[in-house]
Amino acid sequence: MKAPHNEDRIEITRAVIPNAEIARRVRTDEDGAIATFDGCVRNHSHGRQTLYLEYEAYEAMALAKMQEIAAHIYLNYPIRRLAMVHRLGRLEIGETSVFIAVSAAHRAAAFDACRFAIDTLKKTVPIWKKEFFADGAVWADGELPPAPAETPAVKPASN
Amino acid sequence: MTVKVLYFGRLKELSGTSEEIVEVRDGAVIEDLFVRCSTARPELSKFRPSLVAARNREFAAWSTPLRAGDEVGFLPPVSGG
Repeated sequence: MKAPHNEDRIEITRAVIPNAEIARRVRTDEDGAIATFDGCVRNHSHGRQTLYLEYEAYEAMALAKMQEIAAHIYLNYPIRRLAMVHRLGRLEIGETSVFIAVSAAHRAAAFDACRFAIDTLKKTVPIWKKEFFADGAVWADGELPPAPAETPAVKPASN
Repeated sequence: MTVKVLYFGRLKELSGTSEEIVEVRDGAVIEDLFVRCSTARPELSKFRPSLVAARNREFAAWSTPLRAGDEVGFLPPVSGG
């Protein structure tokens, strides 16, 4: 099993995400497949016209969770390299909010790892988006990350 | 002892701050801290069923004991991507 590659770009940024450069940098001569996921800002939500989005994060934890996703992928999928970049701040319609690129010798691993990365990011990485409409704004419905099991309260021993 | 509490998203808007230092008794767990924070801001309590807690940047059970200097986040459902 391979450890995460030192050059892997796992990042949270406020700048425009350089999709093409990220995809290019995961590519090596040993790969037969590059799978990418470009999550971009849609112009509608629940039947309303979206003007723009604002993203915020618990940055230190979000980055740690993204690195955990990468580590899990290296252990479980035969891939070569991985990049995962999420943007914060105000994003306009059509802009990329998250970009993931995975290289592998064969396509199945590249597709599967890329799918796992975005699905897990959306469930476990503490990032939030607010949707702005012509007549107001709402925090997007999200997913509650799985929490560790509760331990029942222990009564102090009496003596 | 004191711990640092972080608020995000709608909780940040509701509480009007992104972080605060809160005094809790020794032996307190995360749930006690939330009760304490929502005593000062009653509107917070209705969000409790839709929150997950984090302690020092890891998801944590509400029954997790606190230690001085801990960083605790009350996280709304996440919506990245």
